Amino acid sequence: MRRLILLVLGSFCQHAFGQAGPYVRQEVDPAAADRGKRLYTQYCINCHGALAKGTEQGPDLIRSPLVLRDRLGDQIGPALKKLANHKSDLTKAQVTDLTHFLKDEIEATAKNRNLERPPNVLTGNAEAGRAYFNGAGKCSTCHSPSGDLAGVGRKYAAIDLQQRFLFPRRSKPLQVTVTPSGDQPVTGSLERIDDFSVALRDSSGEYKAWTRGPAVKVDINDPLATHNQMLDVYTDKDMHDVVRYLESLK
Amino acid sequence: MRALALLLFAGTVFGQTSFPEAWPSYNGDTSGRRYSTLTQINRTNIDKLSLAWVYRVNPGRAPQAGGGNVNTTIKGTPVVVNGVLYTTIPDHVFAVDARTGREIWHYVWPSKGGWHIGNRGVAVLRETVYVETPDCNLVALNSKDGKEKWHTQICDLEQFYYASVAPIIVNTSVKNHVITGVSGDDLDIPGYIESHDPDTGALQWRWYAHPEPGTPEAKTWPSVEAMLHGGGMTWVPSTYDPDLNLLYFGTGNPQPVIAGQGREGSNLYSECIIALNPDTGKLAWYFQPSPHDTHDWDAVQTPVLFDGEINGQPRKLLAQASRNGWFFVLDRATGKNILSSEFVKTNWALGVDAKGQPIPNPAKQPKLDGALVTPNQGGAINWPSPSFNPETGLFYANAARAWSVYYLYDDDDKPEGWGGNDRGGVSDAMLQAIDYKTGKVRWSHKWPGNGGGVRSGLLSTAGKLLFAGDPSSNFVALDPATGELLWHTALHTSVTNGPITYELEGVQYLVVGAGDSLYAFAMK
Repeated sequence: MRRLILLVLGSFCQHAFGQAGPYVRQEVDPAAADRGKRLYTQYCINCHGALAKGTEQGPDLIRSPLVLRDRLGDQIGPALKKLANHKSDLTKAQVTDLTHFLKDEIEATAKNRNLERPPNVLTGNAEAGRAYFNGAGKCSTCHSPSGDLAGVGRKYAAIDLQQRFLFPRRSKPLQVTVTPSGDQPVTGSLERIDDFSVALRDSSGEYKAWTRGPAVKVDINDPLATHNQMLDVYTDKDMHDVVRYLESLK
Repeated sequence: MRALALLLFAGTVFGQTSFPEAWPSYNGDTSGRRYSTLTQINRTNIDKLSLAWVYRVNPGRAPQAGGGNVNTTIKGTPVVVNGVLYTTIPDHVFAVDARTGREIWHYVWPSKGGWHIGNRGVAVLRETVYVETPDCNLVALNSKDGKEKWHTQICDLEQFYYASVAPIIVNTSVKNHVITGVSGDDLDIPGYIESHDPDTGALQWRWYAHPEPGTPEAKTWPSVEAMLHGGGMTWVPSTYDPDLNLLYFGTGNPQPVIAGQGREGSNLYSECIIALNPDTGKLAWYFQPSPHDTHDWDAVQTPVLFDGEINGQPRKLLAQASRNGWFFVLDRATGKNILSSEFVKTNWALGVDAKGQPIPNPAKQPKLDGALVTPNQGGAINWPSPSFNPETGLFYANAARAWSVYYLYDDDDKPEGWGGNDRGGVSDAMLQAIDYKTGKVRWSHKWPGNGGGVRSGLLSTAGKLLFAGDPSSNFVALDPATGELLWHTALHTSVTNGPITYELEGVQYLVVGAGDSLYAFAMK
């Protein structure tokens, strides 16, 4: 059986490797794809399925090496004439339209890691979210529905609420205090830090930097640290409930 | 011939490394340890390390196939043979004098396309340099002048494959092999690895990353069709044990990538550490770090080979720090699991099964309304190479603890492509030193500043040094036993490849890539 698979796949590969065809994928003409969709619906859909992903009666055309290799019908046209129970009398223009539809479906599938429409993340319970906000989550320690979160449900799309609740963006620069040994502490907005240096911009806008070492004390107060620690605490239910609650703050 | 193979490849491999005058393949030797016995640069004199040369790749005016700017980031590990250093970017090979950084020749492949995400480097055998191209070719060049000897197609661009991995040379007592791998997970295609004749490029064998229909392993898929479109790409170079004559590599994510509801089961041989006979391509054993993966956590990270002691007994071992956040130690003769542990904290597994393989928590698979998961899609580690130091017994991984939310976009019974993705997140970068006997992190150094992924590989040496890039453009030397910071230098951008070291005319060089440049260091 292994040999059979190798033979089958090998034949596809040999065919593909052997051709010197164009390497740029067929550019989809939307109007032609629309016409092709109508042809597909009329002649192909019963066997190959609504999304061309195949049924028990016909193979998947999205994953088909023949369709993938096709350019403007040069593979599909001859195949339609050879294969039994296929519409063999389509005109060349109709076959071309059909390829535009199939290529459109292929390109959409190959790019479906990209978000086309926001998923519905409002599946939680707002009341449970409110309880978590004021209770176990301790969100109310720093946040208030009538204060910083007033109207937040109007301000952001639901998926952005979910992302900002879990991974809040910094609303102002991180503050750092650097205290060189025997010198006065300097506080400002952190510009950069690594193991070897630290730099800030003080309240006058001046850039100041130090080489890090035992003689230079660095204190960073990150207000988001608690948020990051909470990621280990939230359950997915907590997450969905809180998002539903935040969305209710209109 | 066998003796010749031993001489050529790491003479060897698991005791004393013997390639000080060169860095002859992707990992230096075929063990994947990235450990050098050189000691001229060492802990006591590292503060006198000085810049020897800088080489900046110049691809010229050749346009990038498919449009856009040429990707000039050096993501491959240079190979050094006979005083010549070979480095790559997609479609380009550069031969450089390893003493001076002066270019000797530059080869440009006339590309037809493919994804130009990166190139991991070349293989060299005698007078031939081998490289894979994004448009699915294995190209053989004359090492003297960079002229093409031949090329052969190794995958099908039309099916959304592309090629990026560094080929590996394996010489056995039977024959010589150029081992190639493939990439691509846009559209549900099977991964495979191939062996080619080094002289002609002729295909010797191909091994697909799926079982044969009808075998017990095939039952890890709901259908033959799902299995034959099930992914498992092979995009990180292999390692090889000449004594056992086994080739080791990892396979990538199953496909469809995120939407896994149409491929219920563990989905062998995706997400596996694989051992093959390099002469026949026959499977010896497999171990699956991420059964039924739905998070894009390719288990391709270098399977590192070393000899060690487990419970007082000498053992031939293989270790992998996997993208899913788990560290595995296996018996490399049998594939039997010795140890499984987390090297960063994760939240997706319910424990391990009887084989030592993590059990995925269904609640943490991608959901229509999102599932909060760590690690994120980038993983706890990605392709940058780990290092194993036989002196400390520690396995080093430049790691990240990262979170994101995984969304299912396509809930059809038969999804295709990706069908979902992850989004957002926070990330902390850290260097983990893992005790292979316990799986525990002996020391951890958190990189301050920008979190995010680290794209630096690692190198450890008998000079009691561990080299790494941090996320802030520093190239750093640490004490491999304790993690103490010993030396650093600031580069123009972050390290983007794995550092190497070699000795020429009595001088030990240390070379690292950052963006479009190689930096070489030596003692003053």
